[in-house]
Amino acid sequence: MTLTLSEAGQNVVAGTFGRAMARAGEALGSMCGQVIQVQTPVLQRCTASDVMAMAGGPESIVLAVYVGILGSLQGHALLLFAPPDAHRLAQILLAGLLGPGELPMESTADPLHYDELELSALQEAGNVTISAFLNELGMHLHEPVQPTPPQVVIEMAGAVLDAVLLDLVSDADQVLAARTTFSEGDRAIDGTLFVLPRADSLRVLLDALGAIGI
Amino acid sequence: MTLTASPNLLVAGIGEMIVSSSPDAHLVAYGLGSCIALAVWDPRVKVAGLAHFMLPSGAANSASPVKFIDTGIDTFLRTLEARGAVLGRSTLKAAGAAAMLTVGGGLAIGKRNSEAVQQALADRGLKLNASALGGNAGRTVQLEVADGRFLIKSLSSVAEL
Repeated sequence: MTLTLSEAGQNVVAGTFGRAMARAGEALGSMCGQVIQVQTPVLQRCTASDVMAMAGGPESIVLAVYVGILGSLQGHALLLFAPPDAHRLAQILLAGLLGPGELPMESTADPLHYDELELSALQEAGNVTISAFLNELGMHLHEPVQPTPPQVVIEMAGAVLDAVLLDLVSDADQVLAARTTFSEGDRAIDGTLFVLPRADSLRVLLDALGAIGI
Repeated sequence: MTLTASPNLLVAGIGEMIVSSSPDAHLVAYGLGSCIALAVWDPRVKVAGLAHFMLPSGAANSASPVKFIDTGIDTFLRTLEARGAVLGRSTLKAAGAAAMLTVGGGLAIGKRNSEAVQQALADRGLKLNASALGGNAGRTVQLEVADGRFLIKSLSSVAEL
């Protein structure tokens, strides 16, 4: 299904996704005790290859927190970090929870190794960030949007994204991707949030936002 | 053993295929998760092909000729034959079809892709000589046109299939 929106309709959708992305950044910042800068979100129709490229290419290694979106709006959300950035974020998150003596050593030997505490903290960070996004969207819908439990995957970006993309492109060549980048100044942590709604449930959101026919 | 980084890398992106008889070419598909790569190599004429399929079935798609296994596999096999490959003497190998995500109902497309490729080959009197399918790890694959070696790289290893 392809919906054609007027410029005004597109602005309504972009504004809503922008506010939701900002809420997500605030939630992550509040969890870290830091100010998180959120870039203006980009909302665009793109091919599966485009989404791979936006994630740094299919072979780039990422730590991804995946949350499925169920309920009145259906789709997928992913918070992606390069492994060194994920380590730094985990250290910040754990420093807020544990005393300095209890902090796990930052691993320099293997950037792909995370201990259980780090993985748990990152999973929760993804969960909180994505839930904040969905709560903001859910305010416009008549029925709740339900996130699945989060799953952390350390993998090639292509491998993480293709499972999600295949669910979206069986009867369409393009997906609607909302993407923004978070950064935390001093420690240089960059993360990317992707929200990929299913085409068949997108109309529900657009109707609720009043973005159709304006 | 490592994968090659050279100007002769020919990349089959998602839903794309590459067929080559250039002896110094390396055919690559990066970051396969639930997608499935089918590698075909004819040892006599040294023609190689790599298809990066996305889904089991759907309408033929000119922008992504091998997006779907059922409508794309003949396009791939005919392109190989047009370049001189004889499928009956070729080696056929496949990799991918993993289950990367377990939450939210599982998105079990990998398993369906694995079954669809094997069924589509069986329907044409062909079968895989070797495969690395399923599991929950991503894979990058590389097919060497010169000698038909098929390398599979995951985050933890590189192996020849």
